[in-house]
Amino acid sequence: MAMSGGRGAPGRTTMSEINVTPMVDVMLVLLIIFMVTAPLIQQGVKVNLPDARAQPVEATEKRLVLSVDREGNTYIGDTPVPSDQLEEKLRANAKAQADKEIYLHADRDVPYGAVVEVMAAAQRAGIPAVGMITDPAGAPRKKDRR
Amino acid sequence: MQPTRLARLLLFPLALLASRGYAQAPILEISGANFRPLPIAIPAPQALSDDARPAAASFDEALVLDATAAAIFQVLDRKSFLADAREGFTAASITFSRWADVGADALVKVQLAVDGTSLRGEMRLFSVASGKEELRLVHVVPLSEPRKLAHFFADALYRHYTREPGPFQTHLAFIHRVGKNREIWLSAWDGRDAVVIAKDGLNVLPAVAPDGNSVAFTSYRSGKPDLYRERPGAPPVLLVSAGQMATGIAYAPDGKHIAYSLAQGDGTNIWMANPDGTDAHAVTDTSYFINSSPSWAPDGKRLAIVSTRAGSPQLYLLSLDNPKDPRRLTFQGNYNQTPSWSPRGDLIAFTARDERNAFDLFTVNVDTGKVNRLTQDQGNNSEPSFSPNGRLIVFTSTRNGPPQLFVMTADGKNQMALPMERGEFDTADWGP
Repeated sequence: MAMSGGRGAPGRTTMSEINVTPMVDVMLVLLIIFMVTAPLIQQGVKVNLPDARAQPVEATEKRLVLSVDREGNTYIGDTPVPSDQLEEKLRANAKAQADKEIYLHADRDVPYGAVVEVMAAAQRAGIPAVGMITDPAGAPRKKDRR
Repeated sequence: MQPTRLARLLLFPLALLASRGYAQAPILEISGANFRPLPIAIPAPQALSDDARPAAASFDEALVLDATAAAIFQVLDRKSFLADAREGFTAASITFSRWADVGADALVKVQLAVDGTSLRGEMRLFSVASGKEELRLVHVVPLSEPRKLAHFFADALYRHYTREPGPFQTHLAFIHRVGKNREIWLSAWDGRDAVVIAKDGLNVLPAVAPDGNSVAFTSYRSGKPDLYRERPGAPPVLLVSAGQMATGIAYAPDGKHIAYSLAQGDGTNIWMANPDGTDAHAVTDTSYFINSSPSWAPDGKRLAIVSTRAGSPQLYLLSLDNPKDPRRLTFQGNYNQTPSWSPRGDLIAFTARDERNAFDLFTVNVDTGKVNRLTQDQGNNSEPSFSPNGRLIVFTSTRNGPPQLFVMTADGKNQMALPMERGEFDTADWGP
């Protein structure tokens, strides 16, 4: 209830805090990208995943998965969603907005540009972290999933 | 074929039990730091015929409002939905993974059909994780009252998840300011479907009567304030006309008594009477101070009142066994008013003027005296009234300019305006 103080002290204008606004701006531009191993993700959309030797992140919780198949069609989960609707759907998606993280499940033969477009849509929708699902190199490849 | 049919026969009662689902449903604990609203998907209801479409739109608006105001759900944005618009109405025909992908834990599907002059609604509640139907309800209302159907289903959802009665089939009485006149209105909990109770002159301090169909209020129609009770389309009934002014009626929880304040001579005291005004007797007897604004405890044995016996208006607890010795409840601030005792018993909400001369809402814990602030920096907020289940509070706020009715949880969260028509409204009482 005590709300007095801090107001109306003329002459004392020294700012004693660091201005964090520019730093926050920079943070928002960054998109966090990490690798996720494929066997942990069971997905209905069939894509041929790229191999990668990067240190993978263990997927512990189930995240929303965006898929891009060989023809460049985009999916949320296993529901086809045209790429121009991805941003709106993701912005309204309570799960993605709560996790602030999605997994991207794209075919190895999809053009780099198509993948970046999906990542950009996620970033514009306010989801700063994208996990790239890959087949861990050397691991026995699981084809014909589902 | 024979064993299959036998199995179906055996399973049928089990399926019925499962559709009741009360035994397995998770219970949402409403209070506490770990409370997380349940993500619920409520797609638009399916109108089974074209003539059900206008009712479906009103129904939809009311159901989404109730689910949002309940504050136990996170109502998911329909723009995110991935399911096919023609998706079915049974567990077998629903693709639950698509609902899981939008973050839903629960899915509510409704079908509406017009049958002559009535509207028939069927609601099914599904658990997205298990893919099972948890609740199935059919309810019929007059076609002209689709919002009533929504309130019925909303209460059922509320009860399913909390084991507590929902607040959505109850009523509000409130004041509509028209020029210098103050009209009394009675409406559904959300301020809609409102009917006028008292139109001309100055009518204030309404209280929903225990039957939910009439309102008791203070009116200046005779030249001085008296207490009346009125229902739509019937003449007013005079309850109390005594002293210089009788104001601020409050019904006991069992409906068998009324309390009000009566000014006589130099003092204003709390009085009690039968609901028709007979057998009136004073409860407090201070000669020079003001005692007013009674609000009953749910046990019917105590009243919260405002008294100026210590100088400024403060809240006091008064036991009807020992009304001469009330216990002071508020010590901060110099202007604490309009107590509303939660039907759950633990809290009393009230209006206080803070040190910047703004009116805001607070609760005080009856046992510990701990004060909790509910509103701040949002215009003036006043006249709280608890929902009959004690979980929500309706109040008047000037945050958008003219006074309007708002609702929030008992701890001040989820504040939202009631979807009323344009106008100036205040002093709501939330009753049965």
